[in-house]
Amino acid sequence: MARVNNWQLGREMSYWYPEARPQKQFAAVFDTNKCIACQTCTLACKTTWTSGKGQEYMLWNNVETKPYGFYPLAWDLNLLEMLGGQEWDETGERPVYQGSTIFESAPAGERVLGWRPEDQDYSYPNVGEDDCAGQVDGGASLAASHDMAWFYYLARICNHCTYPACLASCPRGSIYKRPEDGIVLVDQGRCRGYQECVRGCPYKKVFYNAMTGTSEKCIACFPKMETGIQPQCFVNCIGKIRMAGYLNTPENAREDNPLDYLVHIKKVALPLFPQFGLEPNVYYIPPVHVPTSFTSQMFGPGVGKAIETYRSAATDSDLAGLLGLFGSSERVMTRWRRIGETVTGLDDDGNVLVNVPLKEPVHIRPAYDKLYQVTRSNCP
Amino acid sequence: MGPNQFFNSDNKDRDTIMLAALTGNVGKIGGNIGSYAGNYRTALFNGCPQYINENPFDIELDPTKPARPKAYWTAESAHYYNHEDHPLKVGNTILTGKTHMPCPTKSLWFANANSILGNVKWHYNQVFNALPKIEMIAVNEWWWSTSCEWADVVFGVDSWAELKHPDMTASVTNPFLIVFPRTPIERIFNTIGDIEVYSLVASKLAELTGDQRFNDYWKFVNENNTDVYLQRILDNSTNTKGYNFSELHAKALEGIPALMNSRTTPKNVGYDQLTDSTPWYTKSGRLEFYREEDEFIDAGENLPVHREPVDSTFLEPNIIIAPPHEALRPKGPEDYGAKRDDLSCETRCGRNVVYTWEEARKTAHPLVKDGFKFIFHTPKYRHGSHTTPIDTDMVAILFGPFGDIYRHDKRSPFVTEGYVDINPTDAKELGINDGDYVWIDPDPEDRPFRGWQNDKRNYEVARMMCRARYYPGTPRGVTRMWFNMYAATPGSQQGAKEREDGLAKNPRTNYQAMFRSGSHQSATRGWLKPTWMTDSLVRKGMFGQGIGKGFAPDIHCPTGAPREAFVKISKAEPGGIDGKGLWRPVDLGIRPRNESDAMKRYLAGEFMKRK
Repeated sequence: MARVNNWQLGREMSYWYPEARPQKQFAAVFDTNKCIACQTCTLACKTTWTSGKGQEYMLWNNVETKPYGFYPLAWDLNLLEMLGGQEWDETGERPVYQGSTIFESAPAGERVLGWRPEDQDYSYPNVGEDDCAGQVDGGASLAASHDMAWFYYLARICNHCTYPACLASCPRGSIYKRPEDGIVLVDQGRCRGYQECVRGCPYKKVFYNAMTGTSEKCIACFPKMETGIQPQCFVNCIGKIRMAGYLNTPENAREDNPLDYLVHIKKVALPLFPQFGLEPNVYYIPPVHVPTSFTSQMFGPGVGKAIETYRSAATDSDLAGLLGLFGSSERVMTRWRRIGETVTGLDDDGNVLVNVPLKEPVHIRPAYDKLYQVTRSNCP
Repeated sequence: MGPNQFFNSDNKDRDTIMLAALTGNVGKIGGNIGSYAGNYRTALFNGCPQYINENPFDIELDPTKPARPKAYWTAESAHYYNHEDHPLKVGNTILTGKTHMPCPTKSLWFANANSILGNVKWHYNQVFNALPKIEMIAVNEWWWSTSCEWADVVFGVDSWAELKHPDMTASVTNPFLIVFPRTPIERIFNTIGDIEVYSLVASKLAELTGDQRFNDYWKFVNENNTDVYLQRILDNSTNTKGYNFSELHAKALEGIPALMNSRTTPKNVGYDQLTDSTPWYTKSGRLEFYREEDEFIDAGENLPVHREPVDSTFLEPNIIIAPPHEALRPKGPEDYGAKRDDLSCETRCGRNVVYTWEEARKTAHPLVKDGFKFIFHTPKYRHGSHTTPIDTDMVAILFGPFGDIYRHDKRSPFVTEGYVDINPTDAKELGINDGDYVWIDPDPEDRPFRGWQNDKRNYEVARMMCRARYYPGTPRGVTRMWFNMYAATPGSQQGAKEREDGLAKNPRTNYQAMFRSGSHQSATRGWLKPTWMTDSLVRKGMFGQGIGKGFAPDIHCPTGAPREAFVKISKAEPGGIDGKGLWRPVDLGIRPRNESDAMKRYLAGEFMKRK
């Protein structure tokens, strides 16, 4: 085991390989508050990548309702139970994780603490849809605090982790992290289907294909990313909850990098189960209406402040403007800026990819269009 | 959606819009009352008569000139067809207005509209009692829907992704003029365009009769130049005049949208009335919340009142609940020649009985004494629009919590299946476990179809069986099943019984059902509301700024409401694989009301400690 730095834990940790960060790291921000679980992302991925034999059950991208939704069944619950209660120390300047990661709590002779789902655990991929915590036996009414019964939608892809457990688990070295963009891939020529990666990945985002005898996973649509276009599940998202790009480490964060701004500067987007220790690279804006006891267990100790910041977007034109760039272009926006009422997405070379207004404009047309000699009416 | 699809929705809407008006929220961005029904988009292209009403005896063959519309048809609400072509008769009184009066349905020909037949309310009454009287049913479809199972002729047509003739549409809820360009995508099957089906039939009629006008009527289809018809519609629609179709088409190919040029974008209904003082589409030109017409006074709805649902209520159905008021003087059952205690389904539609809340709360639905205790709603689901996109297996596995692509349980009719959401406390009381199969039985008077008592064979097809899901988000006594599902047919049931794989798939047609028997439409019914069938109500016309009186399709007429019923639910089979034990997620302890200790800790966030 090597000692590596995991900034999400605020400390060093043990990992099977030495720290080797890529030149740039594929990353994403998902705004859970905007997801309606329409599953368009799921289908965009499925029809693109997993319509073949042996892939029937695979959802490289899935959306599940929390707290009762799981794909595969009980995926996070099982690991949390194996890991036991884990503690964060928030007394210092930055929270420090004091519990064990899945690498540090690996049983003797194993590289990570993991479990392998049974075939039937992949059944019912939308179990728990819209099931809320709490009961409304006596009926319900809407209240601003909304604390009676809650659920939210969690869209999930591979986290293309900085310290992937799948990669660490593979006894053949068949899984690699691309140095040019940090995307984690399974070498289909080298893989022998031992499924140690399936057991090791805490997010259960590596899938065994019984027809090919190899394991498969989300590839972050790298052929698209390489040409500057966001992945299928991003560009097809009708709720515009997602933004893909590249993330720097906190000490190298840039204000004009949209993901750095949200993750490092505003700290409004948080990793999924940081305590597992993988330094996952999909970041979530936590749901504002859910008890933070639950969301902190899932997104770490920054939840309360993240929600506070997110709520301040009403008066923070930069944050609101950047959130408005989500889903505005197919292109990867590696830079952004706001000047007055205009928010701009740019590429690395400073080329403008898209301009969006800070607020949706209202157009009022004359009641009578003299040029075409016609009335313009809202009730034609 | 559904808020506009309750039996009492006109009362409800009058209430809510009055509230909006009183609080100054009409005609302002962020104000108004949202209530969406897709039908209303037709009116957005008020130049449509250029195409649908071109005078067949005076056809314009010059592509640069407009048509000269003259309508040779009259409309009728499809909901009389869904009511065995009867008007509403209560006692000795007909409560369907003369302008609404239906005539017997002779034939049906519809395109991509499974809800006309396959997913119609009271479906099994429709197919077993009404269809035998209809001489021909033709259906244009992309795939084999329930409607195709019951059709005489099925035309296989292009899906939207395969359109070789361009088309356009718009929505009442977004600002875009949506153009479907000619696609370069190859057709997957041997299909033709919807519009070609009609032009080919016309061409055959021309051949048989020797009358060239049959061909002329479809001239620009035959010349593969339907742009002409679309341009005529654009030229004559208030909010699209000035657009050139070929320019819109070129942009659409690149994914560039166009806007509807309504008075405001986003469209904000009431802006014109508020800002320009243009009149509302009423008798007085003002917003009217009091209805002075005799029909409304007779119905006790001259004031906006609360009416209980016509079936889905624990109380006496369809009663008016209001304190005594001098303006409320409806005609009671006796005035119509009916008995006051006659609560039969038909009579109930026109039963005007007023109770105070104190009186109403002591009443009960007449079926409560027979063990009926559940309100059953069938709203639409976000994973489907009607039944269109649900039947590919990739989508279906996400349709609800019972999707399983490998069908470990061979009882499952498909890779997903119909289910009802039920309050866990209610289900436990009935001995129903999460994931069990249940029977859902509606009012035996006339459902699933009139005469089921003497028709065992068809009753076996029509009786609703589905999975039950414990759903903590519904109050006690209220259940829900999604609307967007494929009903069992005699063929699908034969498949479920005889096929080795157990799929509820018709061995002859490959029709795939989502139930082993019945459907959500086993419980619903066609209901007719008297105040939707009046002759004196002044209302907007379908197209343009003209106003009229009485019936107008989709404006003043019965609707397919309500999509709900009052039902009895009982256990049919255990939910575990092949009927043994519990449904697996219950066994794992991850379901509401059956949580394992670990799941309880997870819900409470106890796997994280903070210092």
